[in-house]
Amino acid sequence: MSRKDLAEAVGVNPQTIGYLERGDYAPSVELALKIAAVFGAPVEVLFSLKPFSSLAQIIRNKGED
Amino acid sequence: MYVRSRRRPMGSAMSPLLARSLFVALYALYPLGCILQLGPDTGDGSALMSVIGLLLVAASFLAFAVLAGSSFQRQAQEQDAKLDERELAQRNRAAYGAFSVLAGLVALGLIYMSLRLDFVDRFPLWAPTTPEHWNALFWGAIILGLTLPAAFLAWEKEPPLED
Repeated sequence: MSRKDLAEAVGVNPQTIGYLERGDYAPSVELALKIAAVFGAPVEVLFSLKPFSSLAQIIRNKGED
Repeated sequence: MYVRSRRRPMGSAMSPLLARSLFVALYALYPLGCILQLGPDTGDGSALMSVIGLLLVAASFLAFAVLAGSSFQRQAQEQDAKLDERELAQRNRAAYGAFSVLAGLVALGLIYMSLRLDFVDRFPLWAPTTPEHWNALFWGAIILGLTLPAAFLAWEKEPPLED
């Protein structure tokens, strides 16, 4: 899914999705609920006190296991 | 003030670097042009200085015209309902910064005028006297008030790259 598709689905500017991905903006609960609904995931997966690992890091860790 | 075009209703995409350069040009060229154009008449060369001043003011208005259609100016001046929560949050921060700068400049101007009144006998400090002087100050304040929030937005973090 592209940023533009997700932005249209939740009603924000595509740049806002980029800011969220980069960790430069923390979404409101309302926006987080909308994003969670798009992916059919619980809203808790969108919030964490620790920075999320990058996709490359996750793949690397899986390869080492 | 924001100029919305039919082709680009979200404002023309502009790199922050270009926008910052245009804002710096706007804020530097306008006062410089006014000083050269309205400075003391010294006889030789003052006509040339006046023309150069006029050209600098025209260049600053050109920068203003380009910025008026930019996405930064749109974000600063758009209706609330047409911005998302991140854009509104950024705009609120920019508006607070712009207000602080404008309030600071007004305070400095008042302090300057007060000092000038106190020391007018000893130091011949400049003060606006003619309608042209007041006109230049008026338009300077208008330009600053209209563009400063967008300038703060241009100095925000770099926007993410497109898909």
